[in-house]
Amino acid sequence: MTELEAGRAETLAPVRGSAALHRYRDVLIALIAFAVLASLPLFTGSKALLDFVIRCSAYGLFASSLNLLVGYTGLTSFGHGMFFGLGAYSFGLIMQKLGLPIPVAFVATLVITAIIAAVIGAICVRLKEIYFAFVTLAFQMLIHSTILSWASFTGGDQGLRGGIPRPAFFGINLANHVHLYIASCALLILGLLAMRQIAQSPFGYTLRMIRDNAARASFLGIDVWRAKLTVFVLAALFASMGGMVMALFVSGAYPEFAYWTISGEAIFINMLGGVSTFLGPMVGTVLLLLLNDTVTRFTEYHGIVLGVVILFFALGLRKGLLDFVTEWFSHRRDAGEGR
Amino acid sequence: MTRPRRPGISRRSTLALMGAGAMSVAAPWVARAQAKTIKIGMPTILSGRVAQLGTSSRNAVMLEVDKVNAAGGLAGRQIEMVVRDSKGQPQEAARVARELVNTDGCELLLDGEASSGSFAVHEVARDLGVLCIHTCSEASSLTADPKQHIPNAFRCVRQGIHDSIVGGSYAAAISKAKGLKKWATCSPDYAYGRDTTGEFTLYLKRFAPDVEVISESWPKLFQPDYTEVVTKILQAKPQALYSCLWGGDLTSYIDQANIYAMFSQMEVFAVNMADYTALTVVKNLPKGIHSGNRYIKTFPTTPENAAWGDAYKAKYNEYPTNWSWQNATAVMFLAEAAKKANSTDGKKIAEVLKGLTIKCPFGADGTVTMRGDDHTLVGYAIGWGTTIPQEPYVPEVKAGDWKTIFELEAEWKKSKGYT
Repeated sequence: MTELEAGRAETLAPVRGSAALHRYRDVLIALIAFAVLASLPLFTGSKALLDFVIRCSAYGLFASSLNLLVGYTGLTSFGHGMFFGLGAYSFGLIMQKLGLPIPVAFVATLVITAIIAAVIGAICVRLKEIYFAFVTLAFQMLIHSTILSWASFTGGDQGLRGGIPRPAFFGINLANHVHLYIASCALLILGLLAMRQIAQSPFGYTLRMIRDNAARASFLGIDVWRAKLTVFVLAALFASMGGMVMALFVSGAYPEFAYWTISGEAIFINMLGGVSTFLGPMVGTVLLLLLNDTVTRFTEYHGIVLGVVILFFALGLRKGLLDFVTEWFSHRRDAGEGR
Repeated sequence: MTRPRRPGISRRSTLALMGAGAMSVAAPWVARAQAKTIKIGMPTILSGRVAQLGTSSRNAVMLEVDKVNAAGGLAGRQIEMVVRDSKGQPQEAARVARELVNTDGCELLLDGEASSGSFAVHEVARDLGVLCIHTCSEASSLTADPKQHIPNAFRCVRQGIHDSIVGGSYAAAISKAKGLKKWATCSPDYAYGRDTTGEFTLYLKRFAPDVEVISESWPKLFQPDYTEVVTKILQAKPQALYSCLWGGDLTSYIDQANIYAMFSQMEVFAVNMADYTALTVVKNLPKGIHSGNRYIKTFPTTPENAAWGDAYKAKYNEYPTNWSWQNATAVMFLAEAAKKANSTDGKKIAEVLKGLTIKCPFGADGTVTMRGDDHTLVGYAIGWGTTIPQEPYVPEVKAGDWKTIFELEAEWKKSKGYT
């Protein structure tokens, strides 16, 4: 070992230690967040609040998974909603037609999503920027049209009717509102934790490198296509989880879940919350749903209000809320240190 | 001199907090005990492409609710409507419906959703057990399919299958009289368009077996340009054309087909033409288009119906729509059922609603019935007539025969495996 290498080893050790600490810190934060969310029904009888958190889980998983593509890999997908719809439909159809136990249907849906995402991804991730965006959009429209025209199987534009059966498993009865709420929170926290692990892993850093300079990553021996495909499939899985939570919430699946507007909503959420922090999309989700729910209570011209908010974020802040806040804090800290 | 403020919570604020706590715990009971008003929730589509669906529904509901309130309310309680926009998204419709019941304290629901949204609200009604009357969804399966059946949901809407039976028999009679054997169809490419067209041709061929469909066109929903569809139909040279395009699609189709003088070359049967939203928007309404009635104040030809149409026009400065009469009828049903049950309890009202017949300006014989076995509206005015370019637009409407409708509907249900 040369002197230089020895010195480097010394500095590496604490870094590794702090990485482990970071990892445990994430788990700890997740546990605390889950404990807080799960104990919420003890303090409030408000069903609307529980409904709100369930919807946040569905959209939060969906929007955060899009951030894996947009924020971490630089792949702006306009068709991410297809996996949200796919999750909802696969899960609903398996439950209605086969009547399998919920965990089996859950896993089966993830498997189906992974296969379809791998096929679609293999075609899409070869393309860059606007071409990638539009081919994903085209696939989304293909899936949406399939749902509409295969009416004997999917129910066409009327959706999956008759409710999704929810047999109890391991003492969990998802037909019960509180059980559904806790299950949704658990899925959200587990999903976020898993996505955080992906983002912080060496693979996650490979993705950032691809985002910043794909050619350089390629010269360093990284198989860019494979890395992009992997993250495309992983992101699809979490979007599919979000779709399943939504299907359970509305007890059905509707073609609107696979329409381009739902992808647009996810992009909007990412813009609101910010894409340079991991929790940005989650903040965006809470913001959008709060805005939506309060504004629609008072006016049917909610489009104007949301439009003004977008303008404020795009022209005023020029970034998402969480990005803005973290930047503001670091500026303040720097100023405090006299830099 | 200022007194230093002690840390912690002062006695005064403790008392205030306790008071507020007690109030918030007691508030629901106090409110309920004093609840003279009953809240009725209504998720509907108030924004986007079909916003007219929601606004004309809300208008009609308010018109009738004002009458009920003036007459003493629903079993003595004044009605307060809470109408909220779902944007036509099923997940929003489900959320809004749940919020209306769980947060806003609505005791009854009027579901002004179309298509998928109505099925989403139906699931909410199944989950929460709240009385729900669907007022806009024409999808037959909503009540015909026994899997959908729940004791607390009713449908106060016309149905695709009823329209097809009446339309098929009307068109068959004209076919026979005029020798129209070669038919073309042109309908929007989604479930409603495909189902309704299929059912119409089924009954047309049943009443006139020598009819042949030689051309089918399926333009996309909300398609702006119909040139290729129009030329395709003209090339096929049919003697008659059936279409279930509606709203803006129908009016742009007619405007564009007018350029090719299509309406002088064949008999046109457009089931959704006789609705003021279409009749008043078309630039040059051709004479002689056959149409089913949606809402038209000249049919049924009773003073009650005409008076209702005029009252609506006077209040909102536009004519009512098909959805208007359906929503108005739902409020009439609620008022009558609450009076009979002498209660506003959803379960009691539901019991009375089953099989209830009420006087109604939109009834074929002055009454309409909420059929008991599948909780759906029957006996409403249904018929076909031909258009003229100015008011009253459809001067004479030939009424459909409900006896035939019932027979063929039962047969249809059996063929679908619903009975």
